[in-house]
Amino acid sequence: MCVSLSALADRPQRIVSIGLCTDQLLLMLADRGQIASLSVWAKDSNMSYMIDAVGDIPLNNASIEEIVRLQPDLVLASEFVAWDTVGFLRQLGYPVEQVPVVKSVDEIYQLLGSFGAWTGNPDRAQAMAGQMRRRLAEIDARYADRPAKSVIIYSPNGFTIGADTLEHDLFERAGYRNLAAEMGISGFQAISLEQLVAADPDVLQIDRRLSTQDSLATAALKHPVLDKLIRRREYLDIPTRLRICGGPMIVDAIEMMAARR
Amino acid sequence: MILQTNDSRLLNAVLLVALLLVLMLAVSNGAVDIDLGKAIGDAWHRQASVESLIFFDIRLPRALLAALVGATLGLAGAALQGLLRNPLAEPGIIGVSNGAALGAVLVFYYGYSAYAWFVLPVAGLTGALLAVLCIFILVGQSRSIITLILAGVAINAIGGALIALALNFAESPYAMQEILFWLLGSVANRSFREVQIALPFMLLGWVMMLYCGRFLNALTLGEDTAKSLGFDVARLRLVLVLGVAASVGAAVSVAGNIGFIGLVVPHLVRPFVGYEPRRLMLASALVGAILLLLADLAVQSLSGTTEMKLGVITSLVGAPFFLLLILKSRNTLQ
Repeated sequence: MCVSLSALADRPQRIVSIGLCTDQLLLMLADRGQIASLSVWAKDSNMSYMIDAVGDIPLNNASIEEIVRLQPDLVLASEFVAWDTVGFLRQLGYPVEQVPVVKSVDEIYQLLGSFGAWTGNPDRAQAMAGQMRRRLAEIDARYADRPAKSVIIYSPNGFTIGADTLEHDLFERAGYRNLAAEMGISGFQAISLEQLVAADPDVLQIDRRLSTQDSLATAALKHPVLDKLIRRREYLDIPTRLRICGGPMIVDAIEMMAARR
Repeated sequence: MILQTNDSRLLNAVLLVALLLVLMLAVSNGAVDIDLGKAIGDAWHRQASVESLIFFDIRLPRALLAALVGATLGLAGAALQGLLRNPLAEPGIIGVSNGAALGAVLVFYYGYSAYAWFVLPVAGLTGALLAVLCIFILVGQSRSIITLILAGVAINAIGGALIALALNFAESPYAMQEILFWLLGSVANRSFREVQIALPFMLLGWVMMLYCGRFLNALTLGEDTAKSLGFDVARLRLVLVLGVAASVGAAVSVAGNIGFIGLVVPHLVRPFVGYEPRRLMLASALVGAILLLLADLAVQSLSGTTEMKLGVITSLVGAPFFLLLILKSRNTLQ
């Protein structure tokens, strides 16, 4: 498939992303020259999968003044993030695409399609989705005969992740039962340490890289009872950057989990 | 005199029994129901079961910390009210707790508390000490309630603003929302690590404050009388202030600023100890521990999915009490 020169010229040339997850897909699908700015999160080593690709692309704090100065021809924002900035930008007449929070791998395929269309690189997006499908089928086949395990995720501030989320789909595809969903939790919800210990999962998923930054929210990840729980059971340390956003990196997370079953 | 001593012993014994009962209530209540017999049995056989982990690693440190912090605040309230000879003196109201919180915030969010276990409580102590010094400079020897309250308002405002400023520049994205913990206090998710960190400084502070009991008795008759009775006023005042700073500083550095316990408790206890400051102190510590444990039980049973902070409960109960005290002392205010 050949892209005509006029189509290349019609592609947005000054794309600004103001959120972590739009940063990731933009870095994967757009040409370096199309990106005018990324959010500061793109450089966060815990959160950003594409950190090495950022290079010297200018970063923004999602403030209206920074964005307007860049004169973007497309602004990409995540749903629920910087909604006040998004409203203002639309009033000023800038084209803004709001990216929904993906809740399953199937929604990632749709999202890749949208990103391909927005950035003018549909072939790249299609190829990426195809590769994801192939790898997932391969992982399914390789680990199909291993027994299911139970898992619970514990994040800063005691948040766990229940049904109707990308993480939940990730757990199911990797062959795990998400105990948070079985507790009746849908979406993100804080649970107490007592509830976590009482759930007694086969595998506890926490990202202890996060506890290097000092805060009470992450100090809870270092609570001694978690050490004891881990000693009793198993501990899984899928880096947050592999699962926090919808994108092909989710396959790496699924593979890591499936391999540990 | 002997009779009074016996009375005080009886009171303290009753309070101690009550404290043990409330402690037992606290460790048998939590987010999930567990079999306490199995918890203790498993721990006895050194088995890390779900029950023993919940009981010994989550509930016990939480309850102990609530009791220790409550005792510290009750005792410090009694000591400050005696020292400043002012019924409205309290670590929270006069800004000592916010000072301690500022010290703790500065070392905790900027990575210094990892250097050694004592860095956090010492930072709390230093902040508390600076706030007490400010109070002494602003209030001096005045016994005016209004001067004390206004000085407290000012120190609290400065402390709160500096806490917000320090959190704003912290690296962690969670820092800013944690201002709630520092301004309202909590013992949720605290472990024996925090108990170990704070306990030495709290104990030291308690001993220093209790050591000054007789001095506080003499001080009720005025500073000159205390001097003529042979008390080294300047030295004992310093011991008291350091005791308050050490214990409150350590308590706040692991549990945040929990208001009004130090105000309410001495007033509840005073009628039972013949209005004698020395006897007030130990009983205030015991009642402070009981009340904070009860407040923490309330926090756990009343909260929705996200647990509320201890200060919400203690302020809801304590602030109206504060108003009542102001109404009662209106004559002196004028």
